[in-house]
Amino acid sequence: MKALIVDDERLARKELIKLLEEHPSIEVAGEAMNADEAEKMIEELNPDLLFLDIQMPGRTGFQLLESLDSAPLVVFTTAYDEFALKAFEVNALDYLLKPITAERLSEAVHKIQDKEKTKSGRPRDKKLDLEDQVFVKDGERCWFVSLANIRLFESDGNYIKVYFDTNRPMIHKSLNALDEKLDERAFFRASRKHIINLSWVEGIEPWFNGGLMVKLRGGDKVEVSRRQAAKFKDMMSL
Amino acid sequence: MVNKTRLYWTLQIGGWGVYAAIQILTMLLASGSEIRIQRLFFFVFEAMLCLIVTHSYRNYINKRKWLSMGLARLIPNILASSILMGILIYFLRIPFSMILGTFVPSNAFDPEKMVTGILYYTFFVFLWSVLHFMYNYFERYNKSLQLEASVKEIELSNLKSQLNPHFIFNALNSIRALVDENPAKAKQAINQLSSILRNSLVTEKRGLTSFDEELKLVRDYLGLESIRFEERLKTEFDLDPESKDFMVPPLMIQTLVENGIKHGISKLTEGGVVQIKTKVDGDHLKIHIRNSGKFVVNGHKKDTGGGLGLENTKQRLKLIYGDEASFRILTEKDNFVLTEIIIPHLY
Repeated sequence: MKALIVDDERLARKELIKLLEEHPSIEVAGEAMNADEAEKMIEELNPDLLFLDIQMPGRTGFQLLESLDSAPLVVFTTAYDEFALKAFEVNALDYLLKPITAERLSEAVHKIQDKEKTKSGRPRDKKLDLEDQVFVKDGERCWFVSLANIRLFESDGNYIKVYFDTNRPMIHKSLNALDEKLDERAFFRASRKHIINLSWVEGIEPWFNGGLMVKLRGGDKVEVSRRQAAKFKDMMSL
Repeated sequence: MVNKTRLYWTLQIGGWGVYAAIQILTMLLASGSEIRIQRLFFFVFEAMLCLIVTHSYRNYINKRKWLSMGLARLIPNILASSILMGILIYFLRIPFSMILGTFVPSNAFDPEKMVTGILYYTFFVFLWSVLHFMYNYFERYNKSLQLEASVKEIELSNLKSQLNPHFIFNALNSIRALVDENPAKAKQAINQLSSILRNSLVTEKRGLTSFDEELKLVRDYLGLESIRFEERLKTEFDLDPESKDFMVPPLMIQTLVENGIKHGISKLTEGGVVQIKTKVDGDHLKIHIRNSGKFVVNGHKKDTGGGLGLENTKQRLKLIYGDEASFRILTEKDNFVLTEIIIPHLY
């Protein structure tokens, strides 16, 4: 697995690299000093795993994750930010407290390997599919959400409302930009305002003006515009 | 409580004892050789009678909680009861005069003498009341002062700066890496960290510390942060040699320097400078802490806790020095934040 270490302190990075020498399955592909550097390196190296410090000059670790289209596996490394990590509703992440102990690191590495195994080994293209996860932050609360769990994206001004479980946090993105990133086999642009997850579709009814009304599991109803309706019928009949 | 009871009896017995002694002395001086043993007994008895009456009076006062009564009600009550006690004493001494054989009915029941006699005792009971209430009021005031002082102390200890755990763990993490890279520097860092930890434990118990000691702590602190930030942190000192004569609240300068690093340097990719400058002006010490960065007044980031820390520092200065000390923080041109404390010399 390719890992990227993101920490503003040289000694902290050095210490972690030294500790990771014990784990040949993790290959440290690069080190970044801040979020900007990290963002570039993620683009270039496409790492599977981030060791990420939260407090950094410039953007924080959270802000870095928010700017990424899809989040790789993340292990937070922090000296004393447990309060920040408590923000996570779903325990989809691990964190290491500095100074990091070898035992604790081994545990984290095992967890990561287990998670990696559940992923299919098929080559990744740039599109986001149901196996990818995104990082969402809404005020103090944070989530790593698998795209498979997101049933609906709804445009709301400059933001997108993300529907999963009972949560509807907002992300600062345009629906068009998101639409381009998403795998069209899994997600469908229902209208100017909505993108739906096809695996969540429960029922379809004809609607006014030749449009359709799609019912999603969980009860949300989304209108498919007339222009998109024909395309939708094609897709669903496959 | 035991002490209070003992004090009461000492004053009560002592007071009426002195009263009796003065009466006897006056009699001796006035009547010369003609000492009448009956008179002597009478004065002793009179004092004892007054003691018993005022003691019962005190029990009554305590029972009816006169101490918490308003003055407008209390004064008439005291006057009335003083007259009542006066009458009581006047008539209670009659049986004893009879026993001693000094009782002269025409004398005792003469209206004019009766009024003078009653007023005489009334005066003493009144005087007793005044002393009694004055003592209790004073004690109560004293207690409220003590309470105020202890409240102040608790407030102060709550406001006292504490070492930031984030700093401690980051320092330990850096030291861990240094052990391989530069063992000598790692050893030095452990000394600096232990000195800071020791200091922060000891200062818990102290209200003020000498400027030099605080400065040493700040230097240790900056030494450790330099390991962490490396070339991103530069420090400058410009100190007035007279600063050492001043006492400062422990960890106060350290906290402000730490604030400067936390909100200034650590937010800057390129890092910056922390500068500590002191100037003695008469009997005031002016401390300037400058750091690269910008001061955001109650920015939308509440989680940084900076506002609370500064508010604590302000309140702490106020509790220790009243209006004698001043504190301000502002952004200077060229992206520098200046924190200024002025504290007086405490003798």
